[in-house]
Parts: sequence; C-alpha cells; structure tokens
Amino acid sequence: MSISTIYILVAAGLLVFSFIKNREKTTKALMVAGRVALMVLPVLLFVFVLMGILEVFVPREVFTSLLGSGHGVLGIVLGELLGVFALIEPAAVFPFAGFLHQSGASYGAVVGFVMSAILIGIVTLPLEIQQFGARFTITRNVVALLLIFGLGLVFMVAL
Amino acid sequence: MKMTHENAASEQHKKNHKGSAELVKSAIIYVALAVVVWLGTTIITPQGGVHVAGIVYKTFSGVLAIIAAVFVLIGLIQVWLTPEQVSKVLGKEAGWKGLLLSATLPMILGGSLFVIFPLLKTLREKGARTSSVVAFLFAWSAKAPLLPLEIKFLGLPFAALRLVSIPVLAILGGLLAEWIIDKPLRDAGLEIPER
Repeated sequence: MSISTIYILVAAGLLVFSFIKNREKTTKALMVAGRVALMVLPVLLFVFVLMGILEVFVPREVFTSLLGSGHGVLGIVLGELLGVFALIEPAAVFPFAGFLHQSGASYGAVVGFVMSAILIGIVTLPLEIQQFGARFTITRNVVALLLIFGLGLVFMVAL
Repeated sequence: MKMTHENAASEQHKKNHKGSAELVKSAIIYVALAVVVWLGTTIITPQGGVHVAGIVYKTFSGVLAIIAAVFVLIGLIQVWLTPEQVSKVLGKEAGWKGLLLSATLPMILGGSLFVIFPLLKTLREKGARTSSVVAFLFAWSAKAPLLPLEIKFLGLPFAALRLVSIPVLAILGGLLAEWIIDKPLRDAGLEIPER
C-alpha cells in the first residue's frame, strides 16, 4: 500500500467519523476543503510551471553555488531572503522547497526558505504593524530571522 | 468588553476572508498566468515547453492524492478546532504552562497570517503575555496539516526535525521577543502583562 493510499484512507476515515459525530460540521468541513482546493490548486499549477521554467532556463550550478552547502551559511541567509519575498501559499512552499533541494540547495537553505516564507510576509507586514505596532513587528520579525538562521545551521549539521 | 473584542476580531476575519467570487477570480488569474508563461516558454524553446509540461504533469499526478487528503484534513481541523478555541484555552493558562501550550497547541492549526494576526491581537488585549503571542506565531508555522506534503517533497527526516524544533524555537523566540519588546515597560517599572 502506497503512502498516498494511506493518507486517503486516513482522511476518509476521519471524514466518516466526523460525519457520524456531526453532519452539519462535516458538510461545512467539505465546503472549507473545496474553498481551499480552489485557492491552492491554481497557485500550485503556477508554481509547478515556474519550477519547470527555472529548470529549463536557470542552470543547476546557479542554485548549487548560491544555496548549496558549498556556499556555507550564506546559503541560509539567501534562502531566508527568498522566503521573505516569496508570495506563495504555504501549501505551495513545500513543493518549491523540494525543487530547490533537488536543484542543489542545502537543507539549511531550504529550511530558511520554508520558515521565512510561512512566518514572514511583506504582504502581511502592514497588517502586523496595524495590529501590534511597529516596535512589536520589527522585533518579532528580526527575532524570527535570527532564530530561523540558527535553525538553518542545525539542519545543515544534522541532515 | 469581551464581546466587543470578539466581534471586532470576527469583523476583521470577515474582511480578510475572500468571497467566493474573489476566489474564482484569483483562481482564473493564476491559471491564466501559468498558461501564458508556459506558452511564452514554448515559443522561445519548444523543447523547453514540452519539458515544463512534463514536470507539471509528473508533479501534479504524484501529489494529487496527498493534496486531496490534506484538503479534507484542513477542512476537518477548521470546523472541529478553530483558532478561537485554541486561543481560549491559552487565555486560561498563565506562566510557564501558558508559554508551553502556546509553543505547541497552535502547531495543528491551519489558516493564514491574515486570520492569525487579528486573533492574536484579541488574545493580547485580553492580557496574554508577549512571549505567548510570539510563541503562538512560531508554533503555528509548523503547519502540521500540511505534513504529508512536506514529507513527500522534503523527506521524513526534514519534516520530523522541523516539527520537533518548532516548540524549542517558539519558546526561545517568545522569551527573546518579550525581553526586547517589553523593555521600556520594565524600565519604567510598570506591570508587564497588563494591557
């Protein structure tokens, strides 16, 4: 049995369990799932096309030299920068991160990309300042960038 | 007072929640963008266009089942365990226990920063410490509902190491950010948690 089959079975099982517990909530859950699908699938299509195009036009060596372990800790910083400016759905972050790793990015750079893509967004920055103030926002984001860098080092050594 | 905060949060939530028409519009834009970029590539290099199409097909067919399962999982988590419920649990706990819960519980949540920020603002106004608010954010970045996707594209060791690192990161980040953010309050000799 493949991993995909197991996931599908688990999801189906949970769905049935949820349906027995509460029909209304389960219908709502399926509607949420549909909404998420509508939101994420087109973005995924775009990201997959982007991955293909990068593979066609950008030589592997570019990724390896910029984000590879040969580039050392600077690769982590570049991975973080890439994540900060990446405006993609969290669900699309992982496929793209996988692509980066296959293209030669180190695990440190990849985790730097993943974490900052999820945690730090230039799109959400105005909202964060509006809700928490500039002092909070700047501190929170700088602390995040520093800790993600540390995490990158751990990933570089451990994996 | 309590009600107005909750209403304000849900208002904000609605404002940031895309309507169905908007959702369809952004879906069409992304698909159109993908097609245009692919066509452009095919004109420049037909071979490249075929290569791109192959990658898109291969990646999609490889993850479609996983993604379907993830969508269902996200839907179920969103109706059975809302961020509001999690923050309610956190609001009751103070001190180390509160920090520890903030650094772990939100890991199972979905949602985007647009939903999480207004919620955390409400939590903060109700008196949650800065460390708990920041830890909540870090923990939420675990994105556990997407774990199947992460394992598929980055491997089990990567996903597992990230998952176990996040509570540690959340506690460190929470304490460090609180130490810096609340410094003026401390210097002025003010009570810190009161907002």
